[in-house]
Amino acid sequence: LRFPPAAPLCLLTLLLPPLRPGAPISPAEPISQAYSLALYMQKNTSTLLQTYLQYQGSPFSDPGFSAPELQLSSLPPATVSFKTWHALDDGERLGHAQGAFLALTQHLQLVGDDQRDLNPGSPILLAQLGAARLRAQGLLGNMAAIMTALGLPIPPEEDTLGVVAFGASAFERKCRGYVVTREYGHWTDRAVKDLALLKAKYPG
Amino acid sequence: MFVLRGVQRHLRFAQRPDLNEKFYKMSGKPEPMAVFSVFQTTFLLALLSLRMYQSQVFSEPLPLAPKSLEISIDSTHQRLHLQWRVHNLAYHRELKMVFQIEISRIKTSNVIWVENYSTTVKWNQVLRWSWESQLPLECTQHFVRMRSGAADAQIPEPRFWGDWTSWEEVAVQSSLGHHPLSVFPKDKLVEEGSNVTVCYVSRSHHNNISCYLEGIQIHGEQLDPNVCVFHLNNVPFIRDTGTNMYCKMDPGGVIKGIVLFVSKVFEEPKDFSCETRDLKTLSCTWDPGKDTGLLTQLSPSYTLFESFSGKKVICTHKSWCDWQAAPDSQEMYNFTLTAGNDLRKRSVHLLFNLTHRVHPMAPFNVLFKNVSPTNAAMTWRVHSIGNYSTLLCQVELYGEGKVIQKQNVSVVANGELLVRNLEPYTEYVAQVRCAHASHFWRWSEWTRDNFTTAEAAPSEAPDVWREVKSVQGHRVVTLFWKPLSKLQAKGKILFYNVVLENLDGPSTMKLLSIPAPANCTELALDHHSYQIHVTANNSVGTSPAAVITLSRDPGNKDVEEARVKGTKDGFSLSWKPQPRDVTGYIVEWCEHPRDPRCDLQWKSLGPNTTSTVVSSDAFRPGVRYNFRIYGISTERIPYLLEKKTGYSQELAPSDSPQVHIGNLTASSFTLSWKGWPAEPQPGFLRGYSLYLKSKAVQCLPGSEKAVLPDGSVCCKYKIDNPKQKTFVVQNLQPASFYEFFLTPYTSAGEGPLGTFTKVTTQDEYSRILIRILVPMILCILLLTILCYLKSQWMKEKCYPDIPDPYKSSVLSLIKSKENPRLTIMNVKDCVPDAIEVINKREGARKSLIETEPTKPTYLHLLPTEKSYPGPGPCICFENFTYNQAASESCGPVPGPPKEQPSQLGLLTSSENVLKALGKTYVNSLGEIPAGETNLNYVSQLASPLCGDKSSLPTNPPEPALCSEYKMQMAIPMGLASPPSITPLDEGAAAHSPCPPRSSGSRCAAHGEQFAQVQSERGRAGRWTLHPGWNFQCQ
Repeated sequence: LRFPPAAPLCLLTLLLPPLRPGAPISPAEPISQAYSLALYMQKNTSTLLQTYLQYQGSPFSDPGFSAPELQLSSLPPATVSFKTWHALDDGERLGHAQGAFLALTQHLQLVGDDQRDLNPGSPILLAQLGAARLRAQGLLGNMAAIMTALGLPIPPEEDTLGVVAFGASAFERKCRGYVVTREYGHWTDRAVKDLALLKAKYPG
Repeated sequence: MFVLRGVQRHLRFAQRPDLNEKFYKMSGKPEPMAVFSVFQTTFLLALLSLRMYQSQVFSEPLPLAPKSLEISIDSTHQRLHLQWRVHNLAYHRELKMVFQIEISRIKTSNVIWVENYSTTVKWNQVLRWSWESQLPLECTQHFVRMRSGAADAQIPEPRFWGDWTSWEEVAVQSSLGHHPLSVFPKDKLVEEGSNVTVCYVSRSHHNNISCYLEGIQIHGEQLDPNVCVFHLNNVPFIRDTGTNMYCKMDPGGVIKGIVLFVSKVFEEPKDFSCETRDLKTLSCTWDPGKDTGLLTQLSPSYTLFESFSGKKVICTHKSWCDWQAAPDSQEMYNFTLTAGNDLRKRSVHLLFNLTHRVHPMAPFNVLFKNVSPTNAAMTWRVHSIGNYSTLLCQVELYGEGKVIQKQNVSVVANGELLVRNLEPYTEYVAQVRCAHASHFWRWSEWTRDNFTTAEAAPSEAPDVWREVKSVQGHRVVTLFWKPLSKLQAKGKILFYNVVLENLDGPSTMKLLSIPAPANCTELALDHHSYQIHVTANNSVGTSPAAVITLSRDPGNKDVEEARVKGTKDGFSLSWKPQPRDVTGYIVEWCEHPRDPRCDLQWKSLGPNTTSTVVSSDAFRPGVRYNFRIYGISTERIPYLLEKKTGYSQELAPSDSPQVHIGNLTASSFTLSWKGWPAEPQPGFLRGYSLYLKSKAVQCLPGSEKAVLPDGSVCCKYKIDNPKQKTFVVQNLQPASFYEFFLTPYTSAGEGPLGTFTKVTTQDEYSRILIRILVPMILCILLLTILCYLKSQWMKEKCYPDIPDPYKSSVLSLIKSKENPRLTIMNVKDCVPDAIEVINKREGARKSLIETEPTKPTYLHLLPTEKSYPGPGPCICFENFTYNQAASESCGPVPGPPKEQPSQLGLLTSSENVLKALGKTYVNSLGEIPAGETNLNYVSQLASPLCGDKSSLPTNPPEPALCSEYKMQMAIPMGLASPPSITPLDEGAAAHSPCPPRSSGSRCAAHGEQFAQVQSERGRAGRWTLHPGWNFQCQ
């Protein structure tokens, strides 16, 4: 896993809690920061998915594997019709992303635990999963800052994993990990679009 | 390999009696089932009637029926656990009972398992039984029922059974929810090589479901429209993260799968062994074998169980375990090591007597006491084992890394051993280990320590040699000795004593003590004889003395040096045995002869030895080593016997001598050199090689062709004599360019090729010319000087003054005889017969060739035809006048009479002669400046061909007579010198045979006289007027 030289520093700043919540701050700056982070995340999502699939065996490791039907009820899908997406107001847009990335951080934690059990001898995969979770958390913080700047209410953190079956079989856990890493990519793509839209709307 | 054989599998199971029912049912073949049902019904009816009959006969109550049957499911292990009670059992009563259990699959009629479970039933006891299903329980529903029967041995078969309980349905499926597709079993853990049954359950049988194992599609057996079963046989271990098997449903793309965790076969522990070191703790070890490959899912456990004591220990390590022994109470131990994981358990057993498994602790406190030069007492202690147990200890003694002694000693608590036959002042290592004496099990570890034996007096005299030098008239003796070997020294040598004893003078002794480790000393001695004693001393004593005598005579007699050929292994030297008594021989040499310090070495040899091999690591190739062999007399006086010199390996020369060229001629040159300058020489000089390069292709005799390293070809001369210092290169081409190079050679080869010296031979002709010309010039010069000095004499000799006939003594003689016939002829007395008139063209200076021949005009003065028929008297004059040409040859007179006929013979025609004469004459005269002289006398020619009158238009006076003219002229030397003509004309009167001037002028007035001029050059045909010729007049 390689970061650009400035990436850790960038992450550190992004992970900082938003300053003085509620205070009227220009939304351009947090939007720009969030956008940069989302772009950076976007570059690594496909690598994460490929690394994950490579370690799971057939059918996951088969070339061109794709199972769009596999979904997790605890994880909201990123797919949405363009019209609906475009019609979202800022609060809804950010709310959806906020909720999704909250669920993703928790699910990435779960997948990391699963893989530590299923693939104990693959530190690369575990490191990538850990890094993805940290970035998702960072993006969450950035979005909270945007919402603060826009004067939007920040939705409370809730346990999205409450319903996850801990007795899932190994195969189910592999499927679950696949869905999480896949959705992580989809949600990152969507976040880039969301933030680009907001960036255009609130130019610095 | 996974072998998926639905039908085959089915047939195999059909052969198993316990599963017959199930698979007959599953295979959907109604005919056998129907037969079976009929048979079963008949059987049951028979049983019922028999039971009724028995109850009536024995009045025994019916067996107690099982009640409260509860079934629990263990999906992971695919087991059904049954538990039930037997009610109405009397308090404290025990009853042996048999429970018949039936298990059906899919539907109650499809019984797949019937088992009789016998047990003793107590009051209020909960009975348990479990069954493992081959098929995952989730695949389909199962039904269980049971009944009881008395298991009394007294009751013969067939026994009476109680009523069946009602069918209990085991439905795991209902808890699965409503997933469209499910695959079972989940996360199955199996050993490699085992058989696994997998199924999928779909909610709708309309879907197209395909299943894959590791990416390869597999085909199963339809259990019912929604359930398909796959039999995976002999599953292999693929990876430690498991093997995926999944099913995919179309349409919908639902993927469901399982992970099969296949482990390697769990191995039995190997080399299980227990031992004790102190009879208190038993230490058991084993080799756990290969890993199963599934550490996270399958961690093995090891348990140690001792059957006599009934104790059990769970081991925390996978390869060893400690056990607290009870030596006082328990002697025998029977251990069972149980190793197992979820799939398999392995056990190994070990029965032993504790005292037979004693591995003693290493001995300790090893000490050496009373260490003498040859003995030492070794003591050690051992850890006690039990009460008064005897240990067997093994002692090994090492000297210089090798075992030299090995002994066994029985020890209870303290061991002791006297080690003998040791060398003085030597370090030894002793080590000891022990084992149980009565029941050997294993040696303890070694315990070792070292000691050094005490010193003893040195046993051998040092090997002594000397070097004698004369420094400023004094004798300086350097005394060398070799350090004693460890065996000889028997201790640390502290000093050497050197005792000098003067043999000539009064018996005086001088003692020098030289501290070790010095190995030489220098003594300045006078010229007396001395005997020197050298001893080595250690702390214990003194060695025997080495004696060497220095005689008064230096003994440096001249001994011829012989060459010796060395090899890599050294120099093999031999010498003549000495007739007189010798006590030994010494060979000495310098190890570093090029070093001023020399590093003198010597080798002492016994008196019977006459050869030895001297070898040294210091010997280097290309270094000459000189060996001197001495004999040692009985008086211990060394005297030189032989000298040897040689190389361990000869090398080729490294440089070449300076060569000078001398005696350079056209065909040779001489080379000279001052020997080979290289000193020290790397080998014995064998000679020289001369390389000569030239343009000539062929090599001269004495040389041969050689190809130089640079590829050029040259001629090579071999000079075999190493003492030769000159060489003449011969047979060379003059004025040619040569290059040469001279290099010495040894047996190892020639020196490196250096720069060739260039030489050009001299030119042959110039040399010869110089040789000839110089003496010639000198001769001519000498002659000239001589001629100059003797000019008068020469003149007299060569051209003396022409005598005047008038003054001749002959005249007087004639006069005295008065012979009138004999008189001196005057010109005026001559009657000319013809006059030639010469038309001279004055001033004309033409070349002879261009000059128009002037036709001479002859005036016949006399009758031409036979005017003188008779021969007349012939008067002959000779005039030895010489012109310049005479100087070349003073001796012979040109035109001697004897030559005359032949010369005249050329003139066959007088006319021709005259023509020629005239022409020449004219021309000659033409060269005389005009006006200077018109007066010349010309000699007249008379044809010698006397008989041929017709051919003579100018008739000679008497052709028949031998008349001849001899030219007689007084013409100055060199016609070009007119002034000399004049005096000649004038003076010639005195010399001329012709009349004197007065008459001569008359001749001239009459015309010119004829003259025959003969060229001194003869045949050239060029006629010039020449003085000094005879002419005759008639």
